[in-house]
Amino acid sequence: MSTPLISVENLTVEIKTDRGLLKAIRGVSLDINPGDSIGIVGESGSGKSITLKAILGLLPNNARISSGKIFVEGKDIATLDNKSRRALLSHNTGMIFQDAIAALNPVIKIGDQIAEVPRYRLGKSKEESKAIALSLMEKVGITDGESRYGLYPHQLSGGLRQRVAISIALSGSPKILFCDEPTTALDVTIQAQVLRLLSELRTNTGLGIVFVTHDLAVVNELCDDIRVMYAGRFVESGSVKKTFSVPTHPYTFSLLKAAPDPDQSVHRLFTISGEAPNLTQEVIGCPFTPRCFSATDKCSVSEPELLPIANSQSACFNSAEHVNWAAEDSKNGVTR
Amino acid sequence: MKFSKTLYVGVGLLGALVLAAIFAPLITSFDPNEPDYANTLLGPTAQHWLGTDPLGRDVFTRLIYGARIDLAIGLLAVVLPFIIGVSLGLLTGWRGGKTDSIIMRLVDTFIAFPFYVLAIALVFIFGPGIKSIIIAITLVGWVAYCRIVRANVLVAKEQDYIHAARLTGLPSSRILRRHMLPNVISQSIVFAMSDIVLSILAIVSLGYLGLGVPVPTAEWGSMIQEGQGYISQQWWLATLPGLMVVYVGFSLSLIGDGLVARLER
Repeated sequence: MSTPLISVENLTVEIKTDRGLLKAIRGVSLDINPGDSIGIVGESGSGKSITLKAILGLLPNNARISSGKIFVEGKDIATLDNKSRRALLSHNTGMIFQDAIAALNPVIKIGDQIAEVPRYRLGKSKEESKAIALSLMEKVGITDGESRYGLYPHQLSGGLRQRVAISIALSGSPKILFCDEPTTALDVTIQAQVLRLLSELRTNTGLGIVFVTHDLAVVNELCDDIRVMYAGRFVESGSVKKTFSVPTHPYTFSLLKAAPDPDQSVHRLFTISGEAPNLTQEVIGCPFTPRCFSATDKCSVSEPELLPIANSQSACFNSAEHVNWAAEDSKNGVTR
Repeated sequence: MKFSKTLYVGVGLLGALVLAAIFAPLITSFDPNEPDYANTLLGPTAQHWLGTDPLGRDVFTRLIYGARIDLAIGLLAVVLPFIIGVSLGLLTGWRGGKTDSIIMRLVDTFIAFPFYVLAIALVFIFGPGIKSIIIAITLVGWVAYCRIVRANVLVAKEQDYIHAARLTGLPSSRILRRHMLPNVISQSIVFAMSDIVLSILAIVSLGYLGLGVPVPTAEWGSMIQEGQGYISQQWWLATLPGLMVVYVGFSLSLIGDGLVARLER
């Protein structure tokens, strides 16, 4: 198999906090290729966003990559100097953020912001850059680009802002687009439009998408592959289709169970009791044990590795026995 | 954009003085520096609106001509520190690490310098005059801008729009100039307004100590100094130049307040 465009190997990230060293990511591996669409899901604090930030070199000052490697085009980016790392990354990646208004410069006209990369990185002339910006605006579905070119971010609606942010991210023609919950701040109809846009971009241009979210429905809509993250690790990895029909990790199973089913009227939604572990302390055993409905003695002693099972991968000792989670679940009296 | 009355009042007050200073020869027919021994220490008359000083020079004329010097140096003595401080602040906040440590230690050193001691030392080196004053004020003044901008850069650096700009691979110089600067400069501009007052005060103080603009050039500081011997009879000789400083300070702080209201949306 050829080398992946972006390859993350056993990445560990530590964050210095007032309460001690927080191990935000504890050994994450991920291969990303053009045309992929990978959804990374998990609850708040599971390390989804930090994973993206670590790959893109946007970690805050108090965080650092303590071990593991990131390869882009087969090159270990830790060995490159700042300038060439930035060049390599910006050539291959783009990113859109959760809050588009924060991701756009408030004092620059949107058209100028989109035209900036063609003009100042790709060295195009002023007219060419404007033409490129206008075609990008058209590509992301901003109608009437010519008259909206001179508007400022605060004059746009939320959906349009995110489209502008997407067109800026695309202006360097990246191969992979990283998305950090880009639809969370939008209302549902706009959310659907943005998702449709992203999936069109993927089919039309072969763009790879890495989508971080806690919304399982969005992953189902947009992605082929899924990584479920818990306590700084991937606990399940596989195709969306398979994982959604037969989850192999109890956490994934519980997550799917917690998602509301529109066809069923329920009195109260299912929740996963307990809370995510405190990562400033050493994790002993599987971090999900205290909240798991099928935990055994072994689970609190050592931490399971992400291992292949039935065409996907799961980090659970018990999934190897092909346990039918649903049966196990009801036996233990966990009910909606 | 918020309508700010304070801003317009401040600009109006200062503008009036600036216009008066520029068109001084049209407003008064007297020479600010030429002595007239026949008419010394006059009280206010129809001819000499604010009387004359011990050398018979018209006080009103000298106040207006003094504004030329004091406002010009005050402004100049802020522009240089502003440019230096803002540039270094941008750099130090953006680069962090070693650059930051070095520049911030430099800042600490300059903060520890007693300003007037430094100014007096410089005057001895370069001789009294505008050049020494501006060098002295610049040496000390850039520090404040550097710290203000650095603090703002540290905040802006973690904003998504800066992240986004960095991710698109734009050169750092471009990000700093186009994306960072306009978003971090407003506080420094507001501070500059009060800083002009401080630097005018410094010029006046140096003038009072005889270390400022050489005599007989009309300048508020040396006017206060010359007038203080007559304070019991001709109290206005020393008081009026002082009131001019108050007037400038008042209008600049109105402008500063108005700018705060405007820039902070």
